[in-house]
Formats: sequence, C-alpha cells, structure tokens
Amino acid sequence: MFRKILIANRGEIALRVLRACRTLGIEAVVAYSEADRECLPVQLADEAICIGPADAKRSYLSAPAMISAAVVTGCDAIHPGYGFLSEDEGFAEVVRAHDLTFIGPPSNVLERFGNKESTRRLLGAHGLPTIPGSEGMLRDDLHALEEAERIGYPVLIKPSAGGGGKGMRMVRSPRELESAIKVCRSEAKAAFGDDSLYLERWLEDNRHVEVQVAVDRYGHGIHLGERDCSVQRRHQKILEESPTPALSDAARAELCDRAVRAVVAAGYENVGTLEFLVDADGNVYFIEINCRIQVEHPVTEMVTGIDLVAMQIRIAAGEPLGLTQRDISFRGHAIEFRINAEDPDHEFRPSAGLVERYVVPGGPGIRMDSHLYAGYEVPPFYDSLLGKLIVWGADRDAAIARARVALDELLVEGLVTNISIHQALLSSEAFLEGRMTTNLLDRVGSASFLAAASRV
Amino acid sequence: MASSRQPRDGDSRTPDARAADHAAIDRLADELVPALAAKLGATGLGEIEIREGAWRLRVRRPADGVNLGRRSSDRPSRSQPGHAGHGHAPAALEGHRQAARPAAAAAAAAHSTNGSAGARDVVATRSEPEPNRRRGDADGHRAIATSPAVGVYQPRADVTAGTRVRSGDRLGIVDMLGVAQDVISPVDGVVGASLVEPGQAVEYGQELIVVELLAAAGGSTAPAGGPGGTGGSGGDAPGAG
Repeated sequence: MFRKILIANRGEIALRVLRACRTLGIEAVVAYSEADRECLPVQLADEAICIGPADAKRSYLSAPAMISAAVVTGCDAIHPGYGFLSEDEGFAEVVRAHDLTFIGPPSNVLERFGNKESTRRLLGAHGLPTIPGSEGMLRDDLHALEEAERIGYPVLIKPSAGGGGKGMRMVRSPRELESAIKVCRSEAKAAFGDDSLYLERWLEDNRHVEVQVAVDRYGHGIHLGERDCSVQRRHQKILEESPTPALSDAARAELCDRAVRAVVAAGYENVGTLEFLVDADGNVYFIEINCRIQVEHPVTEMVTGIDLVAMQIRIAAGEPLGLTQRDISFRGHAIEFRINAEDPDHEFRPSAGLVERYVVPGGPGIRMDSHLYAGYEVPPFYDSLLGKLIVWGADRDAAIARARVALDELLVEGLVTNISIHQALLSSEAFLEGRMTTNLLDRVGSASFLAAASRV
Repeated sequence: MASSRQPRDGDSRTPDARAADHAAIDRLADELVPALAAKLGATGLGEIEIREGAWRLRVRRPADGVNLGRRSSDRPSRSQPGHAGHGHAPAALEGHRQAARPAAAAAAAAHSTNGSAGARDVVATRSEPEPNRRRGDADGHRAIATSPAVGVYQPRADVTAGTRVRSGDRLGIVDMLGVAQDVISPVDGVVGASLVEPGQAVEYGQELIVVELLAAAGGSTAPAGGPGGTGGSGGDAPGAG
C-alpha cells in the first residue's frame, strides 16, 4: 500500500480523496493553486503545497508542477481526481517514469481506451452493442445512400476526425442526405483537414445510463450497478440516480453483466464507467468509457455501501479486489443533486463570491460532499460545482421525499445556486415518472420547469 | 523605440504615399506612444492596441517575468484598476527605475492595414496578474523574491548578502523536475537575508530572498539594520485572491 499520496485536484473531490486516504491510514498532501489557499481540503490537510497560480494551465493542469510537488513532498502516488489531468495518458506515463504510481488505470491501459472510436470497436468486438452505423467511411454519394437505407433514417453524418459538431448533420431523407454530405465534407475538410465521413443511426429521445466497474490487476472484475444521468442541461449532468428508472431489473442486470465481461476481456484495469445511450425502445448502445472516478460516484456508494475511492486506491496499489460479484448487493435508491454556483433565472451564468451562510441538511440517508464553509470565497477561476447532495431512501419515492426536505434545508447564502432547478425537477411529472431524457430540459426549457414548479 | 511598418502585399506605394506613411508613423509615435505607454503603466493592462484610419498601433508589456515599472506592492486590487499610478513608491526609487518603465520597455509596432478610416478603436488586453510577486514589498524598505515554481531551491553562488542587484536579475533557480526556473529580484537593491537553505524544497510563491531597497539600504530614511521584525508579515499580506 502507498505511504503518502499527492492529491492533484481541488474542491469537493480533493476533500473526498483526502477522506479516503485518512480512512485507509495513508498520509496525504493536497496540491493547490494560489486561488485555493482558503479551500477546505487545504485547510483540513496535514500537509498542503502550493503548485502554481490560479490559472489552471500553470497549476492543476501542469504535469511538471504536480509531479515536482509529489517528489519534493515524498509522495509515492498521485490521485488525479476527475477532470484536469485525470485521463491524460501522457501524465500517467510521466508519473510512472518518476517512480510514482498514478491512481487510475496504468498508462498503457489509458492509451488503449483513450480514443473513442477505437474503444467502441474494441468493446464492440467484446460483445457490447454500439450505435448502428456505416461500414467504414463513405466512398461516394451512392455508397452513402445505400448505407443510410440499411441503417434507417434519420441518420447522423459524422466526420472521422475532430469533434465539436463540425461536419455533423442529422438528416431525415435521401434528399437531405445528398445535399448535407457536400456541406459536411467541406466543413470537415476546413476544420480537420480530413473530409472522410461516416453515418450513425440518430437516436431521438435517449437516456444516459452508465455502468460502474472495477477490475484489479489480476483480471478480476465486478460491476457496481448502474447510474442514470439523463437529467442534463446542455450535455452537463445535473442529477444522477441509481437504479435507473429506464430499464427493467432484468435488463439492468444483463447490461451490467455484459459491461464487466467486455472490459475484463479487453484488458481494462481499475475503476471505470461505461456510458450507454438507451433509446425509446429500450435498446442500449455503448458510447464511451471514463477511466477515472466520476463526479457521481457517491450514488453507487450509497446503494452498494462500498467506498469507491478507497477501492480505486487499493487497486492502483496492486491489491486484489477481494470481492466477487456475489459479495455486491444493492439496497434502496440514491439520487445525487449537483449544487452549482449558477443562476437558473439567467441562463445558468456562473457566480462566484463569498459564502455568507452555509447550512447543510441532515437526517437519515443524507450525505453532503462539499468543500464549502461559511466565510469561504468561491474563486471565479474553476468550474461551478459547489458540492453534491446525495440522498438515499428504501425506494425511489422514499428518496424523493427525503430529497425535498433536504433541498429545503440546504442553505448557501451569498451565491446564486441552482437549488431551485432541483426543487423544480422534484415536482415535474417527467422526473417523478422516470421519463427524463437527455434533451428534455433543453427542449422544454429550464424556465418553464421553474415556472411550473412555482405554481405547485 | 522600435517602430516598424509592414506593408501587406509587397511595397507598391508611390513615393508620395510612402512619405505620407512615414509622416503618419512619426505623428503616431510622437503623439500616441508616450500616452499609451503611460496608460499601460497606470492600468496594469498587458497590451493596448489602437486603430486609426489605416493604422494600427500596439503597445505591449514584455511578455513574461519581472513586472517592470510596477512594484509588486503597487499591484492594483481587482476592484481598483489604475490604482498603480498613484502608488506610494519613494521618489528616490523612481530614478533607478526609469530604465524599466513601460514607456521604454514597451514594444510598439505600427501596421498599415486596409481598415476604413474613421473612429479610433482601442483594443486592450489585461495582463496576467503576477500574484507570486505580490508579497514582494513588506514595508517599503525591502522586497522579497519568491519562488516561481514548486521544486528545489538553489541560490546563485555569486549572489550573497550584500550583493547589489537590479530588478530582473537572477538570484537563483528553483529546479522543477530538472528544469531550472529563475528566481528574479523584484527590485533594484542589495541582497539581504536568505529565507530558505540551498537544496531545500520550496512551493510556488514561497519567499526566498530579502532584497533591501537601495534607498533604504543606503539612505537615512531607513533604520539601518532595523528590526526587520515584521517577520512573516509579508507572508500574510494581501490575501490569497
């Protein structure tokens, strides 16, 4: 086991990792930027080290600064948290080259799962369903028309290179396809210098369901159930729950089982999350794998009783899982609410500033993971996540009832937060009936959610 | 001061046009550069660019390193940009610092553009603050050189207590994974106490070396060898933003 871990992150996840280290009896050093001197993990740490200025490029994203900090403080491992350097295989490799352990998959595993397209092919070959698409790249218009006919309209035209929506179009008919393909080719050529395109079936109203897995160095893998992250705003998750209301118990069990078998066969290591889209007919498609601890991991911890961060650290240290799938049991229902410093009434623009009062809810099944305290000044340089309220109940209704009380109790004064959008969700029929899809909040508009809630 | 012109597509101007351009450059340089440079110094901006007619003029602070012409203690708070111009730097100090003023240091470049004549517009870029130098001047008599990186500190062998240094001089290095990062004197002065031992691990922004200001070190304004007893006061000065 490690003797001393450098925590290479900030905010609530730095605090979460610090707590896991203490539970395991491992010393921890919190690396922080100048803007985070007053942040709670820095205040609570036995040892903290300033690694750079507020600008993340020169602090939390600086591999040399992080590794240097680990070396001079005598750490033997680095925990990257999520975001920042957490999925950077180059960083993982340099960490290893300095005789330190990267707490996550080894760099060669990160590399194997680093490219989305090849990961889809890899895990597709190991039995995971992927979104139906064209065989290879489109040769010409005729080929495109044939392939679209085979896949079934609507189809999504996607460029082989790049991302960010460039060269991407959804088309509903052969006529639209013919004209769009020219536009997509020239856009892709201009943006990425590569005009090769392929087709994928367009999924209209989908849900986001993800499976948590853990695989040790010796090829033993388990799953820890799934999470539903269909409540999103502009592709950002804001609420997650487990189990998913989108699938039957049998379908959930089958999905989780296939997921863990595929990643073990493909040589994955450590904790990870496989993301799937579920379409309106209940078909499931693999999209990508996240090779790190995720923001919403507490949802899984609440229904399994397992400390995922501790498990991640143990696996990285080379320990066997020591658990089989039969040891994992699922109990009740958990929902996580991301509390963000953003204003739902004004296009969710971020806010920063002094936390004047901070009151944390309590009672059975309530957990708050947050780096806030009264008197803390939220710096404007980083993401807007203030913390996560996680609520557990014996079933979904019980969890929702507790969540209403908890959200009413939660008080963050001095900043504008998104608490009201969570309260609105808890009184929306779509959420209560488990019918949320990833585009619903954007399509209906957050404003009408808020307005509907205020009428109740 | 460097002033250059870069015609867009080869120089196809008539001699008259060329002369007119030269006149325009002279006028811009004489009228605008000093004013812009002063503005640059006063605002804490990193770069100011103005466009007038077919001309564009940009005045820029040196890209990196020392915060020329502005003492760290003068760094304006975020809510009061422009405060630096009313800084409380001792007058005696100003003489030494002339060479480092933005006016002299600024690189000014004028480019001919095809922009339509008309209103002047100003493009300004805010410079990155220099937080690691913020504790540079604890009491007006001394400044403190801080660490530019997390790593292992090594002072320069030929810089010891009593060595006269100028603002921007290298006092030592911090080794960050084998890459030397320069420790820079924030002011003109005389090297004083070392706050850390050679070979010691240091964090970013850590105080390393005291530099006594020349006026204070030599003049009567300072209690020579005074208590210096403010001790860690520099370390707790203007809070972590």
